[in-house]
Amino acid sequence: MSRFLIQRPLPHGGRLVERVITDKEAAKKMIKGCPSYDIKPTLHYETGVPVRNVYREIMSICYGFFSPVEGSMKQAEVERILKERRLLNEWIFPYPLVFDISEEDYKQLGVGPGDRLVLNLKGKPFAILDIEEVWRIDNPEELAHLTFGTPERNPEVVREPFNKKHPGWVIYRSLQPVVLAGKYTIINEPKFRSPFDRFWYPPRKSREEFDRRGWRTVINHQTRNVPHVGHEFLMKCAAFTGDVEPCHGILVNAVIGVKRRGDYPDEAIVEGHEAVNKGGYIKPERHLPTIVLWDMRYGNPLESLLHGIIRQNMGCTHHMFGRDHAAVGEYYDKWATQILWTKGIPSYGFPAPPTDVPYGLDIRPQNMREFSYCPTCKEMAYSETCGHKREKLSGSFLRGMVAEGVQPPSIIMRPEVYKVIVKWWKHFGYPFCNEKYVVNKEKELEVDLEDL
Amino acid sequence: MVVLLDDQRMSKIRGTGLEEHIKYMFGGELRLLEVKVSEELKDKILQEFDTARVDSRGAITDVPVAFMRELFNQVAEKKSLGSDVVEAVLAKVDEIKKAAEKESEYLPPPEIE
Repeated sequence: MSRFLIQRPLPHGGRLVERVITDKEAAKKMIKGCPSYDIKPTLHYETGVPVRNVYREIMSICYGFFSPVEGSMKQAEVERILKERRLLNEWIFPYPLVFDISEEDYKQLGVGPGDRLVLNLKGKPFAILDIEEVWRIDNPEELAHLTFGTPERNPEVVREPFNKKHPGWVIYRSLQPVVLAGKYTIINEPKFRSPFDRFWYPPRKSREEFDRRGWRTVINHQTRNVPHVGHEFLMKCAAFTGDVEPCHGILVNAVIGVKRRGDYPDEAIVEGHEAVNKGGYIKPERHLPTIVLWDMRYGNPLESLLHGIIRQNMGCTHHMFGRDHAAVGEYYDKWATQILWTKGIPSYGFPAPPTDVPYGLDIRPQNMREFSYCPTCKEMAYSETCGHKREKLSGSFLRGMVAEGVQPPSIIMRPEVYKVIVKWWKHFGYPFCNEKYVVNKEKELEVDLEDL
Repeated sequence: MVVLLDDQRMSKIRGTGLEEHIKYMFGGELRLLEVKVSEELKDKILQEFDTARVDSRGAITDVPVAFMRELFNQVAEKKSLGSDVVEAVLAKVDEIKKAAEKESEYLPPPEIE
């Protein structure tokens, strides 16, 4: 065996968190006589629009995407994360994750440490929360600022103060004041609706799938977009990293959660990526589109840390990071994520890259620049190797073209991908997420539940 | 701003003199005209339409489809690619906003095979 071969990393924290009870009779016994609470979406503190649903966090925690996190965080853990981006067990983690409720709901429930609370979703029992601590968020605005940082405290990468135009900041600003902290356990496995069901590969299943396919090295492509040819070339070329040969697999992991107006619908995103391999642009044997549930915080370097954790837990050896990774607006330096993974960001608690600190990550970053069309080379070209003037691919430009009903040329969007966009356009009466889509999505969610 | 040209739009500008300004992108697969927008008009567009933004190519995008349709109409009518075209479009801003309201609920999908 070559000493250069890279082996699949262990899950973050050393073991995969799996907190899902599949035996319904056992589940019924576990919740007998327990108080229950209907999960409510987090609503924007000013507009009342849904901005988050904690069910997605419970799913991602209990299926192990966020290993080693096991539940809603205690106050000391949140404080440590805000200071050092570490859990109480030392492992690095970027964001506070809490189960928050209003004072009225807390009074009505009458629960406290030691109690077991049944969490209902869409009117059915879904999970339990074993309460270990009750604490309060006194100042959600301060929490939001501490979560993302400020230009003064984080001068290496934060360029503008965060405010209500930033969707991640709004999530923390909109949290309810009472936090019930403790471990979650899913007691009634939700069923994903089509088309999401065929993209659901939680960490144990994805690791098994990699084994089945003979993938030792796997590079992840983070997405919340329908793929254009620039994305396709990023995937193909980033996969040439690896060890003694290019990566065996390309994992596409789409973040599914609350949408913003103008985004493509989640259904078009996942099927658009699938169309890339069905069309043969990347062999299906080398390409696997999947999903993770998460209401994006758009925290650029912090979000990249969470992405690294999720994809290491899924079994990836490499992760590609580009410009403005998981970013919105101009709050962060556009290369903030690549700064984190190459040098570290001391003010966030990383004097070295997250792969080079104790209790850090093992997944390897592959920092990429951009692909665009070169009329001289007559092909998609990489910004750091092509010496000609190139024609940039812009997502907004493509969206404008789609909205006008103009089919993009196949050199920038594959016809199979465009067909998927039109398929869901016909279904929703609109090519992008509009208010109706956003409101309906948060009512219907991605899953249904059976009776327990 | 970029005005995309499909076959139908090409037929409307034939013989207007605009044909010589057509630019080709992506190996000749995309035809377009570029309309000049002054700084002042750019700010006005961004102010009038909250979705509008300047993309990484330096072009104004994410304006309502009604805006883009009117932009082409004015290009064809005035046989121009100058600021007068954008000024004429902005003169109809109320009409465009009304159309844009309906657009946020429904856009007719293209018929493709």
